[in-house]
Amino acid sequence: MSGWVSTLLALMLLAGQQNPFGSLLQNSGKKDAPTEAVRYLYPEQVAVTAGQATPVELHFSVKQGLHINSHVPRTKDMIPTTILFPSDAGVRMSEVEFPAGKDFVLPVPGAAGDHLSVYSGDFAVRGMMTATRGEHLVQAKLRYQACDNRACMPPHTIPVVVNVESR
Amino acid sequence: MRDKNFLVAGLAMVVFVMLAAAGWANWMNRKHMAEMQAQRAMDPMVMGNMPGMQMGGDAGTGEMASPMVGKQAADFTLTDLSGKKVSLADYKGKAVQLNFWATWCAPCKIETPWLAELEKQYKPRGFEILGVSFDDLDLNDAAKLKTETADIAKTAKQLGINYPVLLDGDAISKKYGDPEVFPTSFFVDRQGKIVAATMGLTSKDDLESNIKKALGE
Repeated sequence: MSGWVSTLLALMLLAGQQNPFGSLLQNSGKKDAPTEAVRYLYPEQVAVTAGQATPVELHFSVKQGLHINSHVPRTKDMIPTTILFPSDAGVRMSEVEFPAGKDFVLPVPGAAGDHLSVYSGDFAVRGMMTATRGEHLVQAKLRYQACDNRACMPPHTIPVVVNVESR
Repeated sequence: MRDKNFLVAGLAMVVFVMLAAAGWANWMNRKHMAEMQAQRAMDPMVMGNMPGMQMGGDAGTGEMASPMVGKQAADFTLTDLSGKKVSLADYKGKAVQLNFWATWCAPCKIETPWLAELEKQYKPRGFEILGVSFDDLDLNDAAKLKTETADIAKTAKQLGINYPVLLDGDAISKKYGDPEVFPTSFFVDRQGKIVAATMGLTSKDDLESNIKKALGE
């Protein structure tokens, strides 16, 4: 019996070394997601009437402590937040509207006169969606450039995936 | 015999429960660690925890301890705003600050006037700054490249940059640990060794302290 117990104890030790349920990060398929400054929140699915323009709101969240440039930055050298919809998906987005940016000044000495137009927290992009009958997997892309009060990251693009059910 | 079987079965049950508990505790612990790491990764700038960088150490004041510190600065050749080839080797025997920046980086623009002042102040003692732009360039489109270069030059002029600005920093990024945030600076001493590094906006005093370190003062 002692050998049997030893085997079990060895298994216990092994359990201490390995996650018996697998790696959450590896298995979630979202290994890179936590490093994103911006997350696409919802909707994952929308229902529209075929051939009719339907209002749709795409919701995003900017990581706390960070900001991204708005769609209309105050200066030309700032990189605007943009969204790109594929043109061949049987789904068309029109009248795309970004929210107005919030006026922001870096809270550090030397930045007094440099006003930025940014998004922070949650924001939504609105538009009118028109789709042909059927199911469509829309894979749009949001491009942004994020900073905090001390540093900036290079521009980055995240996928915006929406399953469109058009009847 | 029956009692013995009962005892073995009981022991097996206890061990199984302990095994499950240990596995569960380990899983929770790993989950927590993963969340902590993800949190740090999400806050690269807020928490001063960029990939490959840690706070403190001998890297200098107010900056991160970079794994690059203590290593020889890798040589490179880039093109400046006027089209001239510039190599780090051209600055042999001088203390050099490599300042990685971009026109879209607001914090970079705050420190740039300080850098211009410091470069002027310490140049007579053998100090030089090389601004390395990380703005995207259409290298295969001459017309676009010309416009993009002109835009960088315009911003550099507006910021009062009085030191060389080199283009296409991405080309040398790997040699310097693929910095993921800007501004990033490496301070290279007269022997070509990186003696300090900063990531993110720091103070003028910190910059000056690192310049002195590069000068060996």
